[in-house]
Amino acid sequence: MSRQKGFVARLFGAPLVASLSAIGLSFILVALLTAGIAATSLITDLSHVTIIYLIPVLVAAIRGGILPALVAALVGISVAAFFFYPPIYDFRIRNPVHVVDLVLFIFVAVVTGHLAASLRRAKMREQADALREAVIGSVSHELRSPLSAILGSASVLAKAPEILRDARLGPLVSGLNEEAERLNDLIQDLLDASRISSEGIQPHAEWVDPGDIVNAAVERRLRLLASHQLKLVVADNLPLIYVDSILIERALGHLIENAVKYSAPSSPIEVSAGRVDRMIRFAVRDEGVGLSADERDHIWERLYRSPRHATIGGSGLGLWIARALVTACGGEVAAVSAGVGRGTTLSIHLPVPPRADYEQLRAPDEESPADRASH
Amino acid sequence: MKNHQPTVLVIDDEPQIRRFLRAGFELEQFSVLEAETGELGLRAATLSPLDLIVVDLGLPDCDGAAIVERVRSWSTVPIIVLSVRSREEEKVRLLDLGVDDYIVKPFGMAELLARARAALRRHSGGAGGEHIVQAGPLLIDLAARTVSVDGTRVQLSPKEYRLLQVLAQHAGNVVAHPQLLKEVWGAGHAHDTHYLRIFVRKLRHKIEQNPTQPRILVTELGVGYRLAQNAER
Repeated sequence: MSRQKGFVARLFGAPLVASLSAIGLSFILVALLTAGIAATSLITDLSHVTIIYLIPVLVAAIRGGILPALVAALVGISVAAFFFYPPIYDFRIRNPVHVVDLVLFIFVAVVTGHLAASLRRAKMREQADALREAVIGSVSHELRSPLSAILGSASVLAKAPEILRDARLGPLVSGLNEEAERLNDLIQDLLDASRISSEGIQPHAEWVDPGDIVNAAVERRLRLLASHQLKLVVADNLPLIYVDSILIERALGHLIENAVKYSAPSSPIEVSAGRVDRMIRFAVRDEGVGLSADERDHIWERLYRSPRHATIGGSGLGLWIARALVTACGGEVAAVSAGVGRGTTLSIHLPVPPRADYEQLRAPDEESPADRASH
Repeated sequence: MKNHQPTVLVIDDEPQIRRFLRAGFELEQFSVLEAETGELGLRAATLSPLDLIVVDLGLPDCDGAAIVERVRSWSTVPIIVLSVRSREEEKVRLLDLGVDDYIVKPFGMAELLARARAALRRHSGGAGGEHIVQAGPLLIDLAARTVSVDGTRVQLSPKEYRLLQVLAQHAGNVVAHPQLLKEVWGAGHAHDTHYLRIFVRKLRHKIEQNPTQPRILVTELGVGYRLAQNAER
């Protein structure tokens, strides 16, 4: 029996099995209810028996979805017409009140069936989300732990006297380090991407100095940027912004990684923060491959890879993640290029909150600048 | 006793991580104890005198914060936690519970050792210990309450000095926003992060060579600030 069910499931897929079992169950319910009504009608007269046949419709909808619900509704109507509406034991109906009854029944059955079916879909989606979250959580842990061990061990090896003595081993250890770090970034991208699609982003906004975000983003990628000429331009006395600094740092990081990837080694990369009207603008400018008009239109899309760069590795997630993070903080992203081969500027624009100017946001200090420290 | 080999207790459920931590610490003349669960870790902490505890927050048998709280109920031994990225609120909470520093997985041994040494130095200092803190060109004399950069006296307002003083007392280790705010402005201002942003900017203009690219007073995004002791000139 169970083997047969397994075979059917393999052949038609689980949804069909669910539908068939829902229809079967609704048939049994219809039969039981009919017998019940027939028995009751021996004692007392029942009008509006059709309402009772909504029970199998609901059960079928919840268990199997909209199609089994419709089948159950049709069976219910037929049985009601056959057994209870004169002429009895005939599918025809004579009384116009009963016709109205049946039309109403069909309407209510379709609506409730639809509601029940969408409830069922929502429940299934919830289960799928819970499953995905569990998978992400465990993937994060399962992949991160060995990586932490690899990176940590490599860092110990890099300092070990035996390794330092042998000129051939040093580069191996640093290679191990770099590749594991690359893997770590990829895992982070996958986690971010799946989090963005499943649960959205919940920013924790705080007052932050735009310069701090630039410095953190660059600091974390110094090793990556070592191949290029880095230029940092942070305007003095920028207003504070009210954003999730971690998210913006990660977004800016993706822009930097993109610039490194798509420009020649030892070419310049400029990372800047400045003020443009009521916005703070973070920008990463490179002198690399540039963008065609088509690429500029699609560069922020999920999984977009330009056909020009098929040989350069990448997931197509980085800039899409950057845009999602920035948008969640109430900002915008932009891409500007003078054309193919003429460099690219990617930027993040975040609003300056009203009254966030350096002079206006005050912190209390003692009135007298008398400096005990200097005496 | 403190001049002897320092003893570090490593609490982590991953054997491979314990292995490299042991190797890394032993290369630096630490003596290493290991525990694979929080319970065993707590027991080890009560049984032997320790100079440092390194604890992973992702232990299967108990919450990292619970371990910190229990250790802190009887001991001031420096604690460094190993954490994953993007859990900044948790880091702030742990620092508030008395953790000395945190490090984000994956990490390199050099980074962990720098934080460990900073925590050990402060702990062994105590009263009558080091009252001069150096960070690159910056020199802070906590006893004389003077601050100088490259030998030149710097004028600070009382609040600016207080801020720098708290950071100097934890030199090399992170100090979380709420702690800084409480120490400098009082408990009522524990969430006024913009005070810090403004005063740190003022301070950087006085002590950093390039205030927009600080090397001494470093920001730990979403968590706090660190007085970097390895700041180059």
